[in-house]
Amino acid sequence: MNPDDLRYTEEHEWTRADGGRITVGITQYAQDALGDVVYVDLPATGTRVERGQPFGEVESTKSVSDLYAPLTGTIVERNGALESQPELVNSDPYGQGWMVVIEVDEPDAVEQLLTAGDYDKITESA
Amino acid sequence: MTELRRSPIDDRHRALGATMTGFAGWDMPLDYGSVVAEHRAVRGSCGVFDLSHLGTLRVTGAGAARAVQRAFTNDVSALPVGRAHYTLCLDADGGIVDDLLVYHLPWGYFVVPNAANAAAVAQALGSCAADAGDCEVDDVKADLACIAVQGAQAADVVTQSGVDVSSMRYLDCLALPLGEPTGSASGGAADGVPPDVGVLARSGYTGEHGYELFAPAELAPSLWDRVVEGGATPAGLGARDTLRLEMGYPLHGSDISPSTSPVEARLRWAVKPGTGFVGEQAYVAAAQVGPRRRLWGLRATGRGIPRAHCTVTRDGRALGETTSGTFSPTLRIGIAMAYLDAAVDEGAEVAVDVRGRALPATVVRPPFVDSDPRR
Repeated sequence: MNPDDLRYTEEHEWTRADGGRITVGITQYAQDALGDVVYVDLPATGTRVERGQPFGEVESTKSVSDLYAPLTGTIVERNGALESQPELVNSDPYGQGWMVVIEVDEPDAVEQLLTAGDYDKITESA
Repeated sequence: MTELRRSPIDDRHRALGATMTGFAGWDMPLDYGSVVAEHRAVRGSCGVFDLSHLGTLRVTGAGAARAVQRAFTNDVSALPVGRAHYTLCLDADGGIVDDLLVYHLPWGYFVVPNAANAAAVAQALGSCAADAGDCEVDDVKADLACIAVQGAQAADVVTQSGVDVSSMRYLDCLALPLGEPTGSASGGAADGVPPDVGVLARSGYTGEHGYELFAPAELAPSLWDRVVEGGATPAGLGARDTLRLEMGYPLHGSDISPSTSPVEARLRWAVKPGTGFVGEQAYVAAAQVGPRRRLWGLRATGRGIPRAHCTVTRDGRALGETTSGTFSPTLRIGIAMAYLDAAVDEGAEVAVDVRGRALPATVVRPPFVDSDPRR
């Protein structure tokens, strides 16, 4: 159910690696659990983020959740479209609902993130 | 923990995959997948809610009017048969025990308190009934479901489902003409015995043209089915909350409570001094002094969503606190209700502390949206 070419975290983020950069979003499972996403708060480009630490917020009609950085690095892009269309997180979580691009300090660390198979097991048992 | 009570329509919600939530001792639908989509269905065409958790009390007997007049703040002597009004139940200190609707039917008064306050209202009413004499208060919750059909298409949907509502005005009510003719729609029941049928009213909590059908529990599932087949979108308590907040309708337990007065909550229009209601002395005294704080609407001018219990400030000085807040699906901005210092006026620019971030907002007089249930 989750794309094979992505890596995942236990906090329900996905990452797509491209050289030393990763694109980050939240998974299909996470958007479904949140319900209608109505607000996404993302850091400015240039912000330093640390693996496992909160870097933003995603808010639905039901609740507020922190976004956790999958890896340590610097924000180099943010998805400005989510300011006016936060519902893209629901409708296209792996595409137009992407959140930030992080220039990671240690590109090899991507290999430490969960594979689609690992992540499927987490969501199946949840 | 006691087991949550289930609505007579419970199986329909589960079949639709609803997210259920515990609410005032009842297991009720929070949403059927999307609060925003359900909200927009009500604003745009028509939605249907199961409100079977609401309290339902019947007040009958020659002393019924006296008991209701004493128990609640509005003037029930001015309420003709076939009409309903909004009213408050106060405690002796003038605090708000509940806000509710009273419907005047041929057989007596039908009283609909909030689910969480149904027992407190029944107790207050029971005590007034004992004083009034010749009056019975019956909890008919076990017999009645409530289905609310709300939205511009509601009249068509309800009429197609077999109940002709085309001539009803806002806050009209009558015996629900449903099922076997066990009682006539015009009632009668001069002996004070309620006919064995429900209540139909043009009322609601969404700000839209709508109807509330208090139907016998055994008829409720088929009525629900007919309304849904007629085009109404099932909507849950999540959408009910965003809809009422867009109208600025207070929610008891959040915006009003025993520690708030009708004076500060801007509900004086529903209070008629001189009618002898419980809490009248305290109310009159509070009205003379005037409010120290008032309930206002806040419209976010920046990105972000205020929630309940956020501090509101101006120039770094605390003005009060939010009591409800949400994302408005209609306006696509954050909105809130807040008690603010009486010196604050409409149009003031304030900041709402949302988890440590200052969200700018404008003080406004609700409703936040251009809806009117009388249309």
